[in-house]
Amino acid sequence: MSSGGIKTEPFILNIGPQHPSTHGVFRVKATVDGERVIDAEMVMGYLHRSMEKLAEERTYTQNIPFTDRTDYLSSMSNNLGYCLAVERLAGVDVPARGNAIRVIMAEFQRLASHSMAIGTFVNDTGAWQTPVMWSLREREYILDLFEMTSGARLTCNYMRIGGVSFDLPKEFEPAARKVLARLKPYLDEMEGMLTENEIFIVRTRNVGVLPQELAINSSASGPMLRGSGVAWDIRKAEPYCGYEKYDFEIPIGYQGDSFDRFLVRLEEMRQSVKIIEQALDGLPGGPHSTQVPLAIRPPKGEVYGRVESPRGELGYYLVSDEGPSPYRFHIRPPALINLSALKAMTVGGTIADAIVVLGSIDIVLGEVDR
Amino acid sequence: MEGFGPTFGFYAMSALTLVSAGGVMLSRNLLHAVLFLIVTFIGVAGFYILLSAEFIALAQIIIYVGAISVLVLFAVLLTPRAGRDNGETKMALPGIFLAVCLAAVLAFVINDTNWATVATSPELTASSLGEALLDAWALPFEMASVLLTAALVGAIMLVRTPEEEAEDALR
Amino acid sequence: MSSLVTSNWYDIRDLSNISRDILEGLANVLPHGVVYVLAPVLGFIATFILVVLPSQLIVGVYGERKIIGRVQSRFGPNRVGPFGLVQPIADSIKLMQKEALTPKYADRAIMWLAPIIFVAPCVMLFAVIPFGPRMILANIPVALLYFVAVSSMPVLAAFMAGWSANNKYSLFGAIRIISMAVSYEVPLVLGLLGIVLFTQTLSLQDMVEWQRHYHIWLIAAEPVAFVLYFIGVGVELNRTPTDIAEAESEIVAGYLTEYSGMKWGLFYGMDIGYALAAAAFGSTVFLGGWSMFGLDHWVPPWMIIIGKTHLFYFLFIWTRGTLPRLRIDQLMSFAWKFMLPVALFNLLVIATERMIWVQNDLADGIVYVFAAVNIVLALAALVFWSRFLGYRPENTPKKPRMVREAGGYVPLPTGKETR
Repeated sequence: MSSGGIKTEPFILNIGPQHPSTHGVFRVKATVDGERVIDAEMVMGYLHRSMEKLAEERTYTQNIPFTDRTDYLSSMSNNLGYCLAVERLAGVDVPARGNAIRVIMAEFQRLASHSMAIGTFVNDTGAWQTPVMWSLREREYILDLFEMTSGARLTCNYMRIGGVSFDLPKEFEPAARKVLARLKPYLDEMEGMLTENEIFIVRTRNVGVLPQELAINSSASGPMLRGSGVAWDIRKAEPYCGYEKYDFEIPIGYQGDSFDRFLVRLEEMRQSVKIIEQALDGLPGGPHSTQVPLAIRPPKGEVYGRVESPRGELGYYLVSDEGPSPYRFHIRPPALINLSALKAMTVGGTIADAIVVLGSIDIVLGEVDR
Repeated sequence: MEGFGPTFGFYAMSALTLVSAGGVMLSRNLLHAVLFLIVTFIGVAGFYILLSAEFIALAQIIIYVGAISVLVLFAVLLTPRAGRDNGETKMALPGIFLAVCLAAVLAFVINDTNWATVATSPELTASSLGEALLDAWALPFEMASVLLTAALVGAIMLVRTPEEEAEDALR
Repeated sequence: MSSLVTSNWYDIRDLSNISRDILEGLANVLPHGVVYVLAPVLGFIATFILVVLPSQLIVGVYGERKIIGRVQSRFGPNRVGPFGLVQPIADSIKLMQKEALTPKYADRAIMWLAPIIFVAPCVMLFAVIPFGPRMILANIPVALLYFVAVSSMPVLAAFMAGWSANNKYSLFGAIRIISMAVSYEVPLVLGLLGIVLFTQTLSLQDMVEWQRHYHIWLIAAEPVAFVLYFIGVGVELNRTPTDIAEAESEIVAGYLTEYSGMKWGLFYGMDIGYALAAAAFGSTVFLGGWSMFGLDHWVPPWMIIIGKTHLFYFLFIWTRGTLPRLRIDQLMSFAWKFMLPVALFNLLVIATERMIWVQNDLADGIVYVFAAVNIVLALAALVFWSRFLGYRPENTPKKPRMVREAGGYVPLPTGKETR
């Protein structure tokens, strides 16, 4: 861009793999002119661990820990998606108690993941770790619950094909209710502090707008899609694990900017609290999983099973050839597909806006690179 | 100005100013030249302090070091990398000729001036400066501010992009 | 300047007694002229080493980290020493033994020089702060202007630091800090000009005397000037919500990216030191300095001003832990479109009041009337001007829309809900 004789030229800024705000090892080659971004090219693959190839050597049950480590911030949802896909392929039924426990764990995982997402997003707007500390404080209580049931905080490896691995211990329900009681005033506090904070609004409103058409055309899902005003949630559209029994709503944004996505995530946390309460109230008795052989051999065929993970539609595509290992194991990562709209959202804004937009998409590199 | 202190201060300030002025001329890197210029400005402010004109000295630092140097730095930032060499230039010979002429004129003027020193230095406080600016010299003061406003508006007009001009023409 | 402070050397309410006795004693012993060199050295040791540096370490490093930790619902440092009190010493030792890397293609001379030019003005600022009726290192009659002049130099040092590192991120930080500092100097100086109109002097000691004489603090008499000073000096100091030049989440420490070891330690220490100097200056001008409505006869006045400095510094820490950061273009438009008109309007009001005061030769108590008028005008401006500039809290949605069925577009409602 040159005017009246002053010749300026754009230069390439590497928002590089090592950066405090790219949520992992992710590289964006941004071409900037002054402070405006005119092009953004993504370079991914720094965390590629070839999980899909390794999964072809292991049995179906041995693949469950792999799914933990793709999206390491929402391991329960990953396990759930995979087990759902295998159960559809093998025709295994899950008992009612198993389904209820699955729903409780998935919704707690959504709470944990969203609180981390909100914390780091507000942190990216510059508030020097204060929101991160507050959100992680709540997440710690949820992770304690996970440790109580599955033995691990982050990579839980809890779901099995046919149900869950362990039943809920008897101190789970009072602890869970205590956590939910803590969470409600925390959500009110975050809402009160942030939705009327002028600096926050001016940093996130009309920043990174994703129009409805573009959201659908680029296969966005999850809070990105709902923030742009499209009412699509797999829990409502293709219910699994008994979600049709619970009464909840899905929040929709207005115009698809970062502020809308933030509002959608905050409201989803409230709805998750509602779902968990309903599930805990109506927890049925009975077995927590059906017995399946250790090296299950599903019949020949292919299946695509999807769940609503905190980041969007997490899908597993499995092809079976009646062996103990899958012939093809492919993960449809929501973060990667959501990132395809990054260029459209960042071009025209400043670098500070690009960081805010990246924070609002909520990516996890384990999932993007697998 | 008697006494060891002011004399030492005078020689120190002149050394500083002359050395950094030499650095402005002689350094290869344009940015180093700008930094030497800043030191020269500070040296001149030191002279003002020696003359007991503290207000002028601090005004010199605020305006020259704080604002004009920033302006020069921005100008240096906007020149492309190739033009940032402070070295050889085609204007060297005419420059030397002009410098010699100027030095000769100054030498004659300094020689012919009657450097009578006054017994008491005039009182130059901020309030007397303010009274002078708004009372006796009000017209030049106002004209200077009009000139600065014109320069400000002119600078903004010069750097507008064609899109902004078109947008304003529409309104 | 009558006070109960005696001139005995052991009266710690006036530390200048001790220094004067020492200097007179030394003048008798040493050859002529050496004591002139020794006096500023003694002053530097007394002011900076004994007062400011411990202040900086305890309040700046330890206090700031503890307070920000409590704001973030965690403990601050509590491992090193009892309650973490030895943390600043541990930080200093770590920084001193760290390798100060210089990138290969960086400009070595300027990179080495930048921390020095950053430290010197911050130390020089403490020379004009009055710590008591006679405890001031350099009682120059234009101290206010001295503050403004000296505070424009760390900006140049920061630019030099950013430029010399040969790193695009550093260049960003350097350009940002220059544009920020230059924009915010104007409302800052205009605010201080309003103060000068009332106190009729540029000397800090006389300003404290003015506040003592009229029994009113200048923060009450001119609240708008205080707000302008606080925001303006916060931008010069590069503190959140305006720490854009060093914005960690965007440009990875900005102009400090390539600094490590004690070079970075100097920048970090003087970040705190400069903030303490600005806080000391602010408490002298606005909060009454060493005078406390008569309390300074009993309590040593240097304790009073140090306490006020720390209180002012606590305001800086508080805003840093709470507010997110502005973008650079929003910050500049805030300076030119909001702060500058407010500063000019404030100047108009103060000048009118001063004219009424002088021309009608009113009594001293009129200051309270003017203070009340100023406070009311400030509150009115806060409410009405910010609304006039377009911020409407009802325009932003607080909650998303909720639906029960999935599938299909939900058309945007036409109306006031979106912008």
